[in-house]
Amino acid sequence: MKQSRYFAVVYMFVLTAVLSSMLIGLERLTRRQVKTNEQIAFERAVLAVFPQIEIKSAAEIHPVFTRDFVLSDSGAYEYRPSGQLAGYVLPFEGPGFWAPIKGVVGIGMDQKTMTGIRFYEQAETPGLGARIVEPFFYEQFAEKSLTEGSRPVRIRPPSEAGGNDISAITGATQTCVRLEKLLNEAVVQWRVKLQEQGK
Amino acid sequence: MNGQTVTKPAKQIILDGLWYDNAIFRQILGICSTLAVTNNVLNTLVMCISLSLVTALSGMTVSALRNWTPRSVRMMVQTLIIAFFVIIVDILLRAYWPEMSRNLGPYVGLIITNCIVMGRCEAFAGTNRPWPSFLDGLFSGLGYSVVLLAIAAFRELLGMGTILGFAMPYFSTHWDKWIIMVMPPGGFFVLAMVLWLCRSVEIKRKS
Repeated sequence: MKQSRYFAVVYMFVLTAVLSSMLIGLERLTRRQVKTNEQIAFERAVLAVFPQIEIKSAAEIHPVFTRDFVLSDSGAYEYRPSGQLAGYVLPFEGPGFWAPIKGVVGIGMDQKTMTGIRFYEQAETPGLGARIVEPFFYEQFAEKSLTEGSRPVRIRPPSEAGGNDISAITGATQTCVRLEKLLNEAVVQWRVKLQEQGK
Repeated sequence: MNGQTVTKPAKQIILDGLWYDNAIFRQILGICSTLAVTNNVLNTLVMCISLSLVTALSGMTVSALRNWTPRSVRMMVQTLIIAFFVIIVDILLRAYWPEMSRNLGPYVGLIITNCIVMGRCEAFAGTNRPWPSFLDGLFSGLGYSVVLLAIAAFRELLGMGTILGFAMPYFSTHWDKWIIMVMPPGGFFVLAMVLWLCRSVEIKRKS
């Protein structure tokens, strides 16, 4: 059977259109579920930055989040268990090495001491940058202070890291540099907003 | 046009996929994912199921379209079909198993470039009927899965003292965990040993 060269083009076009439409349909059907999953991942991260919050099952996450956390004008969530302000959770996001990094950092009442940090979305290099989601890295942030100035958090090579610095991950320099930048931008912005509101 | 149809008995297709033409230790295909996801049995299992389904369904679809697909664009068509099934797997995981979707990260998307899938489409599905192509894809995927699961079980047991996350007697208590097993170099060591073992067995059998 001999076919014109246009047949290949039309064939490719039609096949692509059919398969793409099916994928778009499936994506639409599952969109709401994916959104819910993302929201739960975010709320799980928020609850995890305060060591005193204990969650026994996934079903508790959403009720506890809506009960104890209030989004304030500064862009951070205020942690108010039983109504009293007990800390802040500042969401941050920005470009990582490959894809956006999104996370939340918990900050104590003094607006200086970090209580914890979690990343709920990232696609850094597996085995290198992606290790930011491992406890050995994120646990370093707890109890460290946010210093004054434009670089509240410093992520430095392990050999140079001082007492208040975070040790970077060897082999993941780009991820660490970008993470430090986007985290610091979020903290600085939050401080400006707090000052404007005179808090 | 790939009009001609080669027939091979189902039993032979199954045995070839699982052993004689095993994707990992005979054809050395799909090594990237073999090294990447085998540090933990659960991730490996989901990866293997996804890959087997994608290979089987892509093979079947490529085969069903083989008499209409112009030869000049057949590779584009194969890639398109493979990507279609991979994206379906990706969407389903993201919607109904988000933790696994996060664990596997970019590897699900990378099934598209797994040489096993395109290899089977090109070598088998293009010249065979849909049903044998489905079987061929499925059992090539299962051949890959058996090897990967063996590697993963070995790495997880020696590296973390667990299997599927469950603590194993002796290994979780008295065993000094070999952390290197769950890190990338462990994948190379174990894969090399599996190749050595399987090929030695095959050489013995032949002689």
